[in-house]
Amino acid sequence: MAKASPWYRRLGGGATPAMLLLILMLGIYAVYEPSALTSFGISNLLNNAIVLALAATGLTIVVLTGEFDLSGAGVVAICNVMAATLSMGAPGSMGTLGLVLLVGLLVGAINAYLIAILGLQSLAVTIGSLIVCQGIALVLLPAPGGEVAEAIISGVTGDLFGIPIAGIMFVALALAWTFLKNTRWGIAVYAVGADPVASRLSGLNVPTTKFIAFVLAGLCYGAAGFVYSAEIGSGDPRISDSFLLYMFAAVAIGGTSLMGGRGGVRGSLVGVGILTVMQKMLFAIGVAEFYTNIFNGLIMIAAIFFGQLSPLVARIARRRPA
Amino acid sequence: MQNKQTAAIGETAGHEKPVRRQWLRPDARPAALVLLATVALIVSMKLVNSDFGSLNQLTAILITSIFLVVASFGQGLVILTGGIDLSIGVVMGIGGMIIAGMTRGSDDMLVYALPTALVCCAGIGVINGTGVAVAKLPPFIMTLSSGTTFFGIGLALTAGSSQQPVAPALQKFMSGSWLGLPLPVWFLIVFAVLATLVQNGTAGGRKLYAMGSSPGAARVLGLPTTMLTIAVYGASGLCAGIAGILLAGYSSSATLDMGNALLMPTIAAVVIGGARVTGGAGIYLGTLAGALFLSTLSTVITILSLSQGLRSIIQGGIIIGALLLQSSRSAQRH
Repeated sequence: MAKASPWYRRLGGGATPAMLLLILMLGIYAVYEPSALTSFGISNLLNNAIVLALAATGLTIVVLTGEFDLSGAGVVAICNVMAATLSMGAPGSMGTLGLVLLVGLLVGAINAYLIAILGLQSLAVTIGSLIVCQGIALVLLPAPGGEVAEAIISGVTGDLFGIPIAGIMFVALALAWTFLKNTRWGIAVYAVGADPVASRLSGLNVPTTKFIAFVLAGLCYGAAGFVYSAEIGSGDPRISDSFLLYMFAAVAIGGTSLMGGRGGVRGSLVGVGILTVMQKMLFAIGVAEFYTNIFNGLIMIAAIFFGQLSPLVARIARRRPA
Repeated sequence: MQNKQTAAIGETAGHEKPVRRQWLRPDARPAALVLLATVALIVSMKLVNSDFGSLNQLTAILITSIFLVVASFGQGLVILTGGIDLSIGVVMGIGGMIIAGMTRGSDDMLVYALPTALVCCAGIGVINGTGVAVAKLPPFIMTLSSGTTFFGIGLALTAGSSQQPVAPALQKFMSGSWLGLPLPVWFLIVFAVLATLVQNGTAGGRKLYAMGSSPGAARVLGLPTTMLTIAVYGASGLCAGIAGILLAGYSSSATLDMGNALLMPTIAAVVIGGARVTGGAGIYLGTLAGALFLSTLSTVITILSLSQGLRSIIQGGIIIGALLLQSSRSAQRH
């Protein structure tokens, strides 16, 4: 941090190659689909991306501490089902939002307790909580259906002073993380992810740091589930398995190391952008839908592979005399 | 031959009938516990519902457990080295689809279809292993991505269509019997013995334990960690392929997503069986017990006509419960 990085590097939040790829894809998409860059097209794109953005933000925080969290897709499913069954009834839309966030908080806290306090392995624990959450969603709503209150739909997908709410949420996520990562806790997150033993020896509270990360992640998943319900307008207990892959893909493409300690939310937001625009672009070019699965898998592998190369390249570049 | 096999099991599991002895090897204890839990589950179901637990039903449980028993061996090997294989469900579907697509309901092509399916499935595993060992990708990302990719390829090749019935010989194998025991049960016994021998009786198996408990030390010792990792993922693909072929024979047709429901149970079986998720500990007997327990549980849930949702909740709860038990065990030891 001795030298201030140039502005174009800071734009991507450490994910400059990803940012360039996003701009390139947007360009191709705009060529094939002229309405892409109109205000309608952009607001449509933002609405498509915001669910993944919220979920990937939560996941990024956990991954930064060097842990994994697979429960996100399960929490989104529960919250979606809750919104579809409750929002038309007594709790109303604000009550539903509160309940949904509470569920996210609760699942996050259970994960956090098992992993941060009891020291269980995060991948296995969250596979367990993912399955349990999917089960709960199926118990609450055995088949797709239900209805989400109109107030929620218009509130989330609408505009505020002509700016799409989804866009405001995007900016809010980026700003919130910029604030959080400079707090004591935020600095501890990076330290714990980079080297837990050294962090403990230098007096950081590793369990508490991880605990807060998992709880915040749970809150993000809850919010993602709420927004997802507004986007689709009904309930579906079986949110697609590929959502989980997208979450990890967004984090990895955004340049966050899956080993922890390096990366950030802004990169993941760029990753979300790439994944969303890629779907649109492939569709606009006319690639059949089942091929997008293949692209998703390949881009994920490629992103992580190049993500691992970039610190190596940086190290070589630093060694060269300036 | 029979004596030799029993001797090998006895050697690895501490004793042939581990339940009765106090001086069990620590890693055989979970296996014994889970087997006890399975018996307890069957007995308590028998008390509630006297129709339950007929010999036919117990054999049926054994036959339906075969897919999990085979596939979780591969998962267990991968977890032993500290990895995880999330492509197993897709690979099972692909194995079944190749068999169904090539045989199209007749036995003529089965001789070619079997090796083709197995080579393709092992090939996917080898690709996974190469990604993990050579490109150093995190195992669960690599296997999740390759699963998605190959599912997409499978979908593109079949255009999502449902497949023709599989070769009658496979269906006959899954329903036939020899010396009063169903053929799948014989297969299960032979597979379990071979799997235990491979994992705990060969030098290669011991090397996996070394790799799982300390990858750095294994490398310093000069173990071929790259080749071993690729081989382990290849074996996992192969097992998933075998399970997929058996599943296709059992249900007499194949769909691309038929294995998806079995992915999480393979992980659950390994974890319940007492293997450490971070690698380096666990025996196949435990995984086998875990698979038998999950199959029994699944039958019980079906009989109680609980919903799919409750089934998931119970399964996930069991994974977390097993992890908690494990951690309290290791806490006692320290």
